[in-house]
Amino acid sequence: MNDSADRAGDHRPGPLQRLEQAIAAVNGVILGKSRQIELAFSALLAGGHLLIEDLPGVGKTTLAHAIAIVTGGQWQRIQFTNDLLPADILGVSVWRREAESFEFRPGPIFANVVLADEVNRATPRTQSALLEAMAEQQVSMDAHTHGLPRPFFVIATQNPLDLVGTYPLPDSQLDRFLLRISLGYPAREQERALLVEADRRTLLAGLQPVLSPADVLELSAAAATLHVSEPVLDYIQALVEATRTHAALRAGLSPRAALAMLATARARALLEGRDYVLPDDVKQTFAPLAAHRLQCNPNSGESEHVVEQILDETRVP
Amino acid sequence: MNQALSPSTVLLVVAAFVVAALPHLTAMPGWLALAIVAAAVWRALVALLDLPRPGWLVRSALTFGGLALVIMHYGTLWGRRAATVLLCVMVAAKLSEMFRLRDARVVATLGYFLIATQFLFSQQLLLFGYLLIGCALVTAALVRIQRDADKISPPADDGAPGGIRVARLARDGTLLMLMAIPFALVMFTLFPRLGSPLWGMPENALDGRTGLSDEMSPGTIADLFVDDSPAFRAEFDGLVPPREQLYWRGPVLWRFDGRTWSRLFYSNRAPERTPRPDRNAFAYSVQMEPSERRWLFALDYPVGAPADARLSADFELIRKRPVTTLISYDVISQPDFRDAPELQQTLRRIALHLPEGSNPRTRQRAEALRRRYPEDEALIDAVLEWFNQEEFFYSLETAPLGRHGADEFLFDLRVGYCEYYASAFVVLMRAAGIPARIVTGYQGGLWQPSDGYLLVRQSDAHAWAEVWLEGRGWTRVDPTAAVSPSRIEEGARSALSDSAGWFGTEWLYQLRNQYDRLQNLWNKSILGFDAQRQRDFLARIGLDGLSIGARAAVLVALAAIVLVPLVLLTQGLARWVRNTDRLDRAWQRVRRRLQRAGMRPGRGETPLELAARSTDSLANADELITLAEKYSALKYGPVGSLGEIARFDAESAGWRPYRLNPRRSKQSQ
Repeated sequence: MNDSADRAGDHRPGPLQRLEQAIAAVNGVILGKSRQIELAFSALLAGGHLLIEDLPGVGKTTLAHAIAIVTGGQWQRIQFTNDLLPADILGVSVWRREAESFEFRPGPIFANVVLADEVNRATPRTQSALLEAMAEQQVSMDAHTHGLPRPFFVIATQNPLDLVGTYPLPDSQLDRFLLRISLGYPAREQERALLVEADRRTLLAGLQPVLSPADVLELSAAAATLHVSEPVLDYIQALVEATRTHAALRAGLSPRAALAMLATARARALLEGRDYVLPDDVKQTFAPLAAHRLQCNPNSGESEHVVEQILDETRVP
Repeated sequence: MNQALSPSTVLLVVAAFVVAALPHLTAMPGWLALAIVAAAVWRALVALLDLPRPGWLVRSALTFGGLALVIMHYGTLWGRRAATVLLCVMVAAKLSEMFRLRDARVVATLGYFLIATQFLFSQQLLLFGYLLIGCALVTAALVRIQRDADKISPPADDGAPGGIRVARLARDGTLLMLMAIPFALVMFTLFPRLGSPLWGMPENALDGRTGLSDEMSPGTIADLFVDDSPAFRAEFDGLVPPREQLYWRGPVLWRFDGRTWSRLFYSNRAPERTPRPDRNAFAYSVQMEPSERRWLFALDYPVGAPADARLSADFELIRKRPVTTLISYDVISQPDFRDAPELQQTLRRIALHLPEGSNPRTRQRAEALRRRYPEDEALIDAVLEWFNQEEFFYSLETAPLGRHGADEFLFDLRVGYCEYYASAFVVLMRAAGIPARIVTGYQGGLWQPSDGYLLVRQSDAHAWAEVWLEGRGWTRVDPTAAVSPSRIEEGARSALSDSAGWFGTEWLYQLRNQYDRLQNLWNKSILGFDAQRQRDFLARIGLDGLSIGARAAVLVALAAIVLVPLVLLTQGLARWVRNTDRLDRAWQRVRRRLQRAGMRPGRGETPLELAARSTDSLANADELITLAEKYSALKYGPVGSLGEIARFDAESAGWRPYRLNPRRSKQSQ
């Protein structure tokens, strides 16, 4: 395998190294969460969007912020509130008297990285506007379509649903997000470091863009061409089939989800510096990818547990 | 072309050569066989110990020396035996320059040829089994050479003998041979058969192991007694004759020089009249083993000769060519026939001739008998009575006879077997003025009831007498029957049971009889598939009447149908499948070892996860992680080369898990 590693190194020295630097930079801000950071970048390179769901104060926004900065390009932050309107996200057409025509003023969504903070605080109508734009990669308004810049990466954060004053995202729209991750409490040493070291806001302010939009596009394109062997494809199919036949689940994963699994696994393989996909890539990304797309039957536990169970029981070919 | 052979490959090729040549080695002079084996062993040692290679001088000395030795011993390079021995010698010489893949391929391929040449000498079932094993070994050697050529011998194999794994050899050899079976079947059934074998006349006998000769001197039949191999098998269409009639007639001997009985050339003429079969006649077919002689055997008296043979005036069946392969012929015998009621003067003189001055006591005895019994029949009865009543014994353990053989036997020794009795009896008859001659052949046989055939072995060889009586013609008299009735009623084995053990134990004897049934089946179904049977078979599947060209086209087409998918399979798919299998098997082996070491590989656990988990329980987890990474790369990465897979196989084969403080971890549980 040495040959191919060398070949990969010769082929794209710049973007891959910068990617590593970007990940290292984010790890310097968010301590002890390298797995989540890897997943976040996987979502970026797979061309999907990321949902971070956790309690307030564990660093969701900081993570999103850090990723947005190091990814380079334009980035925008939208703080979702219950009086936020679709136009506040997408933009508005204003009447220009001199030109006697409407002029489109792009909203904050026209950026490479969009940070949608506390997305479940907005009304379903506003949420829909965001989710439509994420899916279509464009904004339609007044019979005009306005393409979004590329790469286009949405990082949404969300508080768990049992808090007051939120509008939970509809189940059918959750799969607009490629991955859903949560951060959890930091480990003891990391929490101590957090207390001792400089303020996160200072650190964020010190972050520089490492990647460029062109880098991200190039890396995405490279990831999409990585070698996937027959056994790995078998494994993906076996997992998807397991969700479709599992008694606790209301419905299984869709073919779109299977495609998403493949893309995410490829992105992770690229992050790991391999030029082929391992079952490990599929397995490590399966829970964040599948759990929010699956709904359990009443009294059948949580989809996270079912997903773990499926991973344990599906034989790796 | 200049690729090196690994020592284990050399060992394998040498072993394949020895196995293929072994039947030839046993048939050639001992010193030559020893020299060939020595050459093989030396070549193996050169490979194992990395001894210096022989120079061109040594190599040419070996080659020309071997050639000279063969010519010296056989006097020729022609003929089956000399030619195959030469082949063995030359392959052995070739071993001395076998240092490249090409040479190893030549030697291995010649192994097939050595095996095929065995069938010029014998087509026995057991030998066939042995040669199949030889074929498998040669095939495995060729596979191994190819592995060397592809440079995919695992590193563990570089250390010579340990590198040869029996299971792999067996698989390589048998797998390819199994694949060849359909093709072999097509060729067997459709390839045009020749009416007679290509190799025609033999120049030398079957290495001294022969059937009855056309002479009888003391000891000729005794030699046959110890030969337990089958002479022929007979299947009767209708009635099976009673045992006392089972006299299988062979050469008839007239001339006597005091020691040796021999045939009369004059007997070669056609008989004056032949028997006419009636309802007492027996019809049977005989499958005769190669004897290198021209005699065919039939019961008294054959009505006519089978194709390729003729009937002599003494009712011997003489074939045009010696019997060099298994042959089959049909005969009808008429038991109630009277041979030659008239005896020509010349023949009468020969049938009464005795060498001058020999056997005075026998002559005296004959004259005394003649005076007492003027009638021939009465005289004969008296002699048989004398044999029966006096102290005559039937035994193989007897003494050689001197100048007056009949005298010594009849009056002093009185211990002997059929040859002694027949000879002495005929001398006595001639001295008494009764024309007499000796008939040699086989008597009796073993009835194999379940398969319905009669097995006659070489050890059933027999000699008896015929006397010419006025009005009755030649009449069979068996003096042995008077001495030892059981010899005739139950066979040589029973008559000799007290004195001899050459048939081994009863158990062995039964085993041999069972084996002969298999051999008979083999002869009939495989060896007996001759030109005629092939025609019948083709007629049944509607392929008769085709021209030679059309048949050749059918043959080629069928062969292609059988071969093409096979070739495709072996070329592409099988190679890939086999090697991924090999990779998986190697990893499964690792998993089994982990299981035994107490780690339970999970169902949904990837190799890397398993390896990562092992750091808690294994002292050499880092090695496992390396293995898991290599396996993952080969299994899931872009197609790895065969060499990498082989290296992984070897590497993982040598890996064993070592538990990290097993006792403590148990306590903590």
